[in-house]
Amino acid sequence: MVFLPPPHLASASRPAYAEAYANILVAHRRSPLTSASSVIILVAPDVDALCAAKILAELLKQDDVMHRIIPVSGLADLERMKDELATYAELHTLILLNMGAILDLSSENWFGEFSMKLTVHIIDSNRPQNLANMFAGGENGERFIVWDDGEAENMGDERKAWEALTYEPEPDSDEDSELNDEDSVRSNEGDDLDDDEGFSDRGPSGKRRSLGDGDRSQEKRRKLDDQSTRLSREQRETHHKLIAKYYGSGSWYGQSASATMYILATVLERVDCDLLWLAILGLTFQYTTARISRNTYDKYHSIYYDEVFRLNPLPPDVAANTTDAITAMSPDDLSVRAAEDLRFMLFRHWTLYDAMYHSSYVAGKLGIWKERGRKRLTGLLAKMGFSIPQTQQPYAHMDLDLKHQLRAKLNSIAPEYGLVELTYPSFARCFGYRASPLGAADAVEAVSALLDVAGGIRMEVEVEGARHGGEWFGGGRLWEGGRKGEEKREKRIEVGSRQKDGDDDVDADVDGEERKERTWWVKNFWAAYDALSDIVPLRDALSLAMSLHRAIIRQGTSIIDKQDIRTMRSHRVVVLSQGPDLALFAHPGVLARLGLWLVDALRDRLPGTKIGGLQGRGKKSLPFVVACLNERTQTYVVVGIMGALDFGDVRRNEFGLAFIEAKQRCNARSRHSTFDASVLEIEQEDLKLFLETLCEVGEGY
Amino acid sequence: MTDTRQFGDLATQLIAESRRSTLTDTLLKYNDNLVRSIIREQRDLEKMTETSQNVTPAMLIYQTTIVRNKRCLLAYHKHRMDRLRDMYWTTGGALPHILSNQDIRGKLSPHEVDFLRQYSTSVMDYRAGFSNELDITASITHPPKDLHVLVHVIRDCGIIQTELGTIDFQKGQRFMVRRADIEHLIVQGYLEEV
Repeated sequence: MVFLPPPHLASASRPAYAEAYANILVAHRRSPLTSASSVIILVAPDVDALCAAKILAELLKQDDVMHRIIPVSGLADLERMKDELATYAELHTLILLNMGAILDLSSENWFGEFSMKLTVHIIDSNRPQNLANMFAGGENGERFIVWDDGEAENMGDERKAWEALTYEPEPDSDEDSELNDEDSVRSNEGDDLDDDEGFSDRGPSGKRRSLGDGDRSQEKRRKLDDQSTRLSREQRETHHKLIAKYYGSGSWYGQSASATMYILATVLERVDCDLLWLAILGLTFQYTTARISRNTYDKYHSIYYDEVFRLNPLPPDVAANTTDAITAMSPDDLSVRAAEDLRFMLFRHWTLYDAMYHSSYVAGKLGIWKERGRKRLTGLLAKMGFSIPQTQQPYAHMDLDLKHQLRAKLNSIAPEYGLVELTYPSFARCFGYRASPLGAADAVEAVSALLDVAGGIRMEVEVEGARHGGEWFGGGRLWEGGRKGEEKREKRIEVGSRQKDGDDDVDADVDGEERKERTWWVKNFWAAYDALSDIVPLRDALSLAMSLHRAIIRQGTSIIDKQDIRTMRSHRVVVLSQGPDLALFAHPGVLARLGLWLVDALRDRLPGTKIGGLQGRGKKSLPFVVACLNERTQTYVVVGIMGALDFGDVRRNEFGLAFIEAKQRCNARSRHSTFDASVLEIEQEDLKLFLETLCEVGEGY
Repeated sequence: MTDTRQFGDLATQLIAESRRSTLTDTLLKYNDNLVRSIIREQRDLEKMTETSQNVTPAMLIYQTTIVRNKRCLLAYHKHRMDRLRDMYWTTGGALPHILSNQDIRGKLSPHEVDFLRQYSTSVMDYRAGFSNELDITASITHPPKDLHVLVHVIRDCGIIQTELGTIDFQKGQRFMVRRADIEHLIVQGYLEEV
């Protein structure tokens, strides 16, 4: 369990990314007889992990390393996978993408029992990370490598505290005593945090004891104990507090996994446009889902900006063009360009009116859910000089001069309505003549829509031009992305070609339903994974993303209209138990999006509440808890979101800890179905009790 | 009705079936009844030719019909054998895969199954002589571009032993593997190339 510093902090004595990667290659090539299943990559289901997996797979493919990619949906899935992995004797490299940072992977629950030649690489953007993963050394520790982004350099205090607590013996116990006493002293701290998080610096510390006072002679031992190794009570307390503060301040996100992979590719000197685009998508995903703040985004954006110009040099006359006029210069033009993006949702693929209507920022400022707000929106558009028919045209068909003026007009007129900061710097990619250039945010929307709802649920998408009675065949068609791909597959021969869905044969019972659910999720995962590099399914997925947003707006406006938001002492609760889109919102990803939309929409209308945190210091924020009923399994999916008061800022999400504590207090039957501790699935009957307990937990802060 | 039928009528039906099979590009069920009736017709004709001593015009007609029936029977069987052989080669010589498929198995006669088995044995013997240099059951329509190929598992095929170790293919995962090792699985439809 060591952490790898990023290459710019590396030195001869501290190996960085390139060395770790070289070690993977060496291990693979050293054992040709068993290399077939020696590298396994476990991928979490979010866009960032998908991009990172794609970059890594590309690098491994170029190096002829045979590998295997397995999607993993949550902690339970990971446990099951771990049991299966224990049976593979040939495995020597395991790579975890966007999962596992918080778990103590060297404990017996996880990978501590695996063979010594297994190396586990953890590339995770979730923070906080388990300190044992980062700092524990020793022969057991060398097997787990955390790819760090430079943050660990600033964690010197936490490191000292953790090492002090782990390696030092108890002050008033015998030098030879076992560490059972240490366990009991630390138990009060361990109770606060659930076992799910695997926080156990009391782990296999028996081994580490050998680093301490094993070899000293009696006298020396006594003398040294008196002087240096005996910690005072106060020191112990401060160390405990420091570590508790690290773990207890909520969850936040560090450098995206795809950025880490991109840095690896840079060090190996193998970057090209595709990898750059994937890294950009990972970063944009983090920004649009409010995982990182605007400042962090700008910092990474400038790095990618330079990279774009390095890899895609533009001829000088084109470079001076307005950014709206990005066009492909040739049929094979696949370059990435820097562009200023507007905060409107899927702006280039929708009508202007729709894009503004569906973006949460505009919705919040103008109050879109009321008729008055919609009038204000049309008023704004009219003031800018766009006639109503023009705004109802899909963007591609709008007048050219209007498109050019759009940005300028917005900058001048929008501040009257309170809409400032409408643009942010981003990137767009050309796809030759096959499709119009696609912005990074739009691509992220499309991919995450595929991840959430590509299959397993009926989604109606709109046919372009079907509005206002344009089409004869009705306004919508069913989304068929997943199925069609399968049916189109050619019948190779009569023999093996009946492409029936194997699932249909297999399930016949409730268990089968769950398996179906899992296979739908896996299919979505691969659909999204393929769409990352193929423009045709990506473009199709845009219409899916649009209908997803429409559903979110529908639900969001009805919530606000009906005043369904209950204000508790420290947070706000919304419970969805009926509605046309209930099945849709039973997915945690979609529900999280609804929560984010609500936070953005209500940002200015609601006063922030102080959330204390474990230390009593509080920053004002907008905590939201959204719950939705899953009728099929009779459970509620609960998502906790910590919104910040300013647009572009983020807060650490403390709902993970709060949920765990509330769950323990009221003994609710629930489980965490994803890697995020702030997403919970709870039995229907226990919801009310759980929500009440959550309030009590909040009061304790 | 059988009495008033023309000679060679049944044979024409058999040929029509072969033609239908070619036009629809499917293997039809082995028409055992028709074959047996034609053979019965042959026997009757043979009996009729034996009775008379001299060469009469009637005998000429019987002789022509007998020869024609024989020719039609042979054509039908050859047509089926060709189809079976093609099927064998397109699956890359995976005989158990063909024979375990109930659709196909139901359409074959026992003799055809024997034919497939013996044909497969002959090919195996032939191929074993130079399997180090050349694998004749590999596909020739798509030349391999890469040493490794990324595959997606469509159907569970369990644990496969390859030269480089064992690989456990599970549904819904992707693997990068040596092309030579799993080519036969792609052809049989368990894996899909990405």
